[in-house]
Parts: sequence; C-alpha cells; structure tokens
Amino acid sequence: MNTKLVYSGSPHIRSNSSTRRIMLDVVIALIPACVMGVIWFGLRAWLWLALTVISAVVFEFLFNIVINKKSFLQCVREFDLTSVVTGMLLGMNLSVCVEWYVCVLGSAFAIIVVKMLFGGTGRNLFNPAIAGRIFLLLSFTSMTKYMAVGDVFGELTIAAGATPLTELYTSGVANASLLDMFIGRIPGTIGETSAAALILGGIYLVIRKVIDFKLPLIYIGVTGLLTVAFYGFDFGMFLPSILGGGLMLGAIFMATDYVTTPNTKLGNIIYFVLLGALTAVLRWYKSSECVSYAIMIMNMTVPLFDRYIVNKPFGAHDKKKA
Amino acid sequence: MKANTFKRGVHVPDHKEITMEKPVVEMEQVSDYYFSCSQHMGAPASPVVGVGDDVKRGQLIAAASGGFSANVYSSVSGTVKEIVRRKNARGINNDYIYIVNDFEDRTAVLPSIEPTKENILNRVFEAGIVGLGGAAFPTAVKLKPKTPVDVLVINGAECEPYLNCDYRLMLEKADEVVKGVKLIATALGVSDIYVGIEVNKPLAIELLSKFNGIKVIPLKKKYPQGAEKQLIYACTGRVVKTATLPSDSGCVVQNVATAYAIYQAVNEGKPLYERIMTISGGAVNQPKNILVRSGTPIKAILDFCGGVKDNVTKLILGGPMMGQALENDDVICNKADGGLLALTEEEACRVEPSPCINCSRCAQHCPMHLMPMYIDFYTLAGKYDMAVKYGVNDCFECGVCSYVCPAKRTLVQSIKLCKGKLKEMSAKK
Repeated sequence: MNTKLVYSGSPHIRSNSSTRRIMLDVVIALIPACVMGVIWFGLRAWLWLALTVISAVVFEFLFNIVINKKSFLQCVREFDLTSVVTGMLLGMNLSVCVEWYVCVLGSAFAIIVVKMLFGGTGRNLFNPAIAGRIFLLLSFTSMTKYMAVGDVFGELTIAAGATPLTELYTSGVANASLLDMFIGRIPGTIGETSAAALILGGIYLVIRKVIDFKLPLIYIGVTGLLTVAFYGFDFGMFLPSILGGGLMLGAIFMATDYVTTPNTKLGNIIYFVLLGALTAVLRWYKSSECVSYAIMIMNMTVPLFDRYIVNKPFGAHDKKKA
Repeated sequence: MKANTFKRGVHVPDHKEITMEKPVVEMEQVSDYYFSCSQHMGAPASPVVGVGDDVKRGQLIAAASGGFSANVYSSVSGTVKEIVRRKNARGINNDYIYIVNDFEDRTAVLPSIEPTKENILNRVFEAGIVGLGGAAFPTAVKLKPKTPVDVLVINGAECEPYLNCDYRLMLEKADEVVKGVKLIATALGVSDIYVGIEVNKPLAIELLSKFNGIKVIPLKKKYPQGAEKQLIYACTGRVVKTATLPSDSGCVVQNVATAYAIYQAVNEGKPLYERIMTISGGAVNQPKNILVRSGTPIKAILDFCGGVKDNVTKLILGGPMMGQALENDDVICNKADGGLLALTEEEACRVEPSPCINCSRCAQHCPMHLMPMYIDFYTLAGKYDMAVKYGVNDCFECGVCSYVCPAKRTLVQSIKLCKGKLKEMSAKK
C-alpha cells in the first residue's frame, strides 16, 4: 500500500454540522425579516443592511490581518460567517433614519471591541450586535427616530420616535392594529417590526435544530405575562407588548446566541425566565424598549450560571445516599 | 416495535448495509502468524514455547501471568520461528510469538468437562477468553464479581457503525450463542437474562425471541447503546453509580461473541483463537464478514477482501467511533478485534478544529451527562483538577462529543490527554 494513511484519535467519523453551517442557517432565517424591512422602509434599509454586513466582515478581516497577523487566505479559510450574522443583526437593530457612518461605527464597535478584543468567535462576553446597538443608542440620537412606513421609494419622513410599544407604555394604547404589528407595518428598527417574518425564521431555526424552541417561548411568554400583571392584569397588553417592539427579534435571534447563553438545559431555562422578567421590569420602569439592555445585563451573568449549574454525571445522583 | 434506550446519545448513520447481508466466510490461511502476548487488558502473558517448537492449532503458547491476564493459543499448526518485539495497533512494543504455518491444521482440543459453575469458570480462564465487545477485558475476572449479582445482560446492540460481526453471529449461530449465554448464567448463578439488540437488526431480535429463558429487549438505534452502563439502564432501568462497577448494581454485561466463545470452550473444548470480523468501509474492494484466526497480519486480511482502493485515507482497527487508527497495514489482528475499516476521504472527516462556540451540543449528547467543552478547555489550559470537576474520570471515550461538535474540536483527544496527565500526577504522589 503506497497511500499515506491518516493517523489520528477516535472518533474517525464526524457529523456534517459545522460552525459555518449553523451561521448560514441563522443568515437564512434572518432573510425574511430583512426582506420585510426593505418592503416597509425602502431601499435605504437594504443599503444600511448591506453596509453593516460588509463593514462587519471587513473589520473582522482587518483585525485578523493587522493584529492577529493572519494571511488573507487563512482568514478566508477560517471565515465562519459569524461576522455576517453580527452585521445583519446590527443592521436590523438600526433605524433607517441613521446616517451611513453610524452603520460603520456600529459594526466597528461590535466586531473590534466586543468580539475580536475578547478573543474572537466564541470568546465574547456580550452579544456583539446587542453591544453595538447599545453603543449607538447612547451615542446618536438618530437611533431613536423612526420612519413612518409605506413610502417605499419616497422621501424620508421621520416620525418622532414612537414605536407602538412606547405608545403602549406611555398612553396605554398601541398606535397600530395587531395585524400591522404582526406583518410589520409599524415604525421601528429595520428588522424588528415584522413579527411574522421573525417567527418564520425562528421556525426554520427550530427545524434545523439550531435553537431550542422552548427558550424564545419562555422569554416571550414571561415578558408578556409579567407586563400583563404589571398593568393590572389587562390581557389586552399581552399581544401588543410582545409584537410591538424588539422582543421577537431579541428573543428568537439575539438572546439565543450560543456564546452568550449558559451551557446547560436547566441553566438556559432559568436564564431565559430571568431575562423575560428583567425585560418586563425594565420596560415597565422605563416606559420604553429595553430588550437589548436586558439581554446585555443578563449576558454578564452567564459565567455565573456556568459556574454553579453543572450537569451531574450519569449515576452521580445516588452518591450522597450511599 | 417498542424499544428501550438510555438518555442522550446521538444518531449516527450506521452504514451497516454494506456487509449486513453477507454470510460469514472463513478466511484462507496465510503462512505467517504473529501472536501478541498482550491481546487483553491486564498483565501480558508469558510465552511457554521456545524457538523451533512444533505447535498445534489450539495449543497454549503463552500462559496468563496472574489472575488479571489471559492465556494465548496458537490459531495454526506450525513451527515457532522467533519471539519478536514489534509494534501493536497502538504503536506500543509488545512480545509477539512468530509462528510459520505448515497448513496442516493439526488441532488440539481441551478435555471435555461437565458444565458446572466451577468447571465453567475454570474453563473460561483456561481458554483465554476475553471480552469480545472491544475492551478485551479478561472474562474470568468479570465472571467472579465481588458483590452478588442477580442480572445478566447480554450485549447484542452492536451500536458501532459499519460493524456486523455480532449481528451475523446471532443470525448464523443463534443456538450456540444462547447456549453460551446459559453457561454464563450458570457460572454467575443468575436466572434473569436480558439480551439487548438494536431495532436495526429485526431478524436477530425475531430469531433470539424464540428461545426460552432469555428476555430479548429491542433497543433504539442510538449510539452508544452498547456501552455497559447505558445498556444496563436500557435493559433493566438500573443506574450504575459513577466510579462503581456494574456488578455493584447487581449486573454483569457480556457480549454475544463472548457468549459464543464460552460455548465453544466448554462444549467443544476450543480455546479462543478466532472470531468473526467485519471488513468494511468505502475503500475496501470486497467488504466481507470473515472468520479470522488471531495473529493474522492486517495486510493479509485486506488482501483477502480484494485489497484497498487508492482513495483510502484511514485504516481503523475496530469501529469508527472508538476504534484505533493504524499508521500502516503492518499490524497484527488480535483475538478481540471485531472490525477492520478502510475509510475514504469523504467518510473519515478531516477538518481542522475551530474555536468552541459554546453551542453545548457535546453536553446535550454526552451519554454520561458530562460537559466535554469544559474538560477540553481546562485540559488545554493545564488545569487538570478542574477537568475532574466536569467529570473527566467518568468518561468512557465513546466519541459522541467529538462527533457532534460543529467546531470539530478534538474533545476525546483532550479527555485522553487529561486522563494521562492525571495518572502521571497521581503516580508522582
């Protein structure tokens, strides 16, 4: 036999899953919501999404080449689409009213500061897109100005920052019908408004076994029910509170990020219950959208979950009795 | 069909169709045989024949040194040429007795015995029988548990992909296997006998269900269904506590091939020197189930199966999940090896590991409910005591974590490294 054999440890076969495939699934799942964003907010939304994605990828490559001293080819080989997902999520979290450089700055902050400086893929403490959004929210007032929907190719008309959710919390009534909120014909960020498209993407992720369907349901359910409880058990609050703001996007795509969630099933369930509760409390206290703050705060607690909630080995349960 | 199983684990494409329908054929003899003195777990046996001695088939050539060891028998008749040191499959040097075959097959048999408890136990030890499920643990040791047992579980799960050696044995030698199982039960003094078989072998389930005195348990097709603790849980519902033996929970597990070997040793006086082996994989020209004499060079086995194709990337002794990759084909097959695979580039995934993305799939699928990502992390960081906290000592290296890992991390290697380092550390103390 002349062929050179590979000599390596077991197992010798591997499943066909890969990081790139998982991230591709997330990208595919995000596409419907992006399409809806473009339909409601016009081509400018498309441009902003493209800008955040491209700049996120460029910043990742630049960091790897300049700081990590990797060759361009190596970067291409190791390219795992995580920066594309970060770019897409960040773009979906922007209002179309922001200036172009806001998109680029947000990507730079998300990729360089939040992701790469902490060690790159899998080592970030916070979800880069969430941290990027919060950075922009604190820095640019245009982030909280939203465009009225409908004028796809028309001039940009800016409505002064009132998503149905803020309306709901300030005046008690959402300024849009449930159907509009479901399909996304409401003011908001590019990707958060269409609950239908986000749920569709979520179902795809569940079918592809990328996420556990229980976790977004827990998050959405806890937030909705607690909101109902805070407002004197007014069950009319339930649907507007989960459809009117960024909860769908946050619960299905941002909070379920593998890196910034606990590693055990039990830990995840507790984490998502607390996340839902924190979101409801912050929203009630601040009378405005707080999903991203809640996720960022809970991201900080993940190491604690992983430290104190550890799987017990099979057969370890009876140890104490013996 | 109602099927039992254990918690977690993973569905692996089994590729059993390649050799499932192929009846066992006896491999033709070759001229050179090498018998390792260390074909089992435990102390190596010491040679009892000298250079130039004439040996028969079934003659003792190396005697067990102590209780935790096993006798070695010649599988051919011929002359002892040399006692050499050469590398085994794991690359470790062992003593090998080199016998040149005279193709006469003069056969020696052990004297016939009454199948009483004492006699069976002695014969199992005398015949050099070891666990044929893969670990090659001396069976005589396992049949003398320190605590009383009330259940015998027979492993016919064969959860390793590609392998069909146990399946073909159950189909072709069902009578003998069941008699062997009853002999084990006599030796242990138990009457509760479960035979666990995965549902992808319906013919075997049907066939063995016809016998009285054994309960056939259909098991879900899931890897690692044939692992000792998982099998016990699936068949009896008992949970074997960590760091204890199955016998501490009243169970003993034996493989069907071991049961057959015990039948042959007790009823036919035939010591363990040959077994059924599956030769499979995409790079084998003629995949087969063959009866192989121990001590046969791997190269001869592959030649018997039409040789390997040019696109072979990996040779594996054993199954693809827990087997041993071979450096070259200059390796000898031992009496417990049940599979030989030649995999192509596509089958044997070779992807560089990338950073862990904390997807926790390894923890979700680990049949021992461990957290392999932390064991990997702390092992690579040199913090072996932290790896213990996440259960490295309970791992039996089934390979599920590495199999499911999307980042293709080499988790099992880390675990093996960690165990080695922990052993080193405890030896120093």
